[in-house]
Amino acid sequence: MHTNNNVNIFALEIWDDEGAKCTFYTVKYDDVDSNETDLFFNKYDAIAAYKKANQELLSFVLYSIGNDHGAIDELFNRDENEVNGLPVQGKIKVNELTYHYPDFPLRLYALKITNNIVILFNGGVKDDQTNQTSSLHIEWRAACEFAKRIIEAIRDGSINVDKKNRKLINYDGSEEIIL
Amino acid sequence: MRSKVAKRILAETPEETKIFARLYADIVVRVNQLLKAKGFSQKDLADKLEKRPSEVNKWLIGEHNFTLRSLAKLEAELKEPIINIPQRKPIGTSGYVTVFRNINTDVTYTNTWKKSKSKNKKSLTNVS
Repeated sequence: MHTNNNVNIFALEIWDDEGAKCTFYTVKYDDVDSNETDLFFNKYDAIAAYKKANQELLSFVLYSIGNDHGAIDELFNRDENEVNGLPVQGKIKVNELTYHYPDFPLRLYALKITNNIVILFNGGVKDDQTNQTSSLHIEWRAACEFAKRIIEAIRDGSINVDKKNRKLINYDGSEEIIL
Repeated sequence: MRSKVAKRILAETPEETKIFARLYADIVVRVNQLLKAKGFSQKDLADKLEKRPSEVNKWLIGEHNFTLRSLAKLEAELKEPIINIPQRKPIGTSGYVTVFRNINTDVTYTNTWKKSKSKNKKSLTNVS
């Protein structure tokens, strides 16, 4: 777990683009082997109590959002967390990509760029009412920091959003994005 | 391109889990889209269902374990099907398909298509 995410360099890389509706990106720290979303799914796949929930969440992400519907409001744009404290122009909204089954334990954080481009971060088990008080707090702060830097990069033109091809493109036209 | 971790976990995921997650999302989307199309607010629906708005909100965001009964209630109020069962026709529709058999058993083979005479046909059954 990174304790000082503010200074870490990370890459934006495609996590899944096989669905008909949505391309998923993820973030990967420069000095870590796995990306954050793989770390999340791997972690909860290995815990028996969460294995089934983890499989359901993955199916929801890849099939329902990725292939069937895209990141439409009905599935995605809920339980937003406005991050007011970060030094960014305006507010950013990190979505809690929640599979809203009753008492569903897992939360995966994400940033919706369009209905067809979503960046997935890390997440965890929601064991209290709010993100600030639950053990998810660290992942939530990290997701906010990732989101802040990505939004800044889109605003200043470091990253271009190619809506037609459902891709994020570096300012130089390459697909390798390091922030 | 798909993450290797996602591929592996998906390969180990039981089909019923995949089907459940997909159906569940489909129902949540369908109910919300019907509400929008009908111009119903959550409060309107809560009034019609005689439920608290907070309870209906749970239905709409999916934090409700849908049962056949709750789906039937929603379908009744929204007056549109939420789940379509193949082969079932909506209530109130009519129509039938007539199946014919050729009563002329002494048919010579021909490799050209000919329009058959309708008087040689006898209704076998009506399938409705």
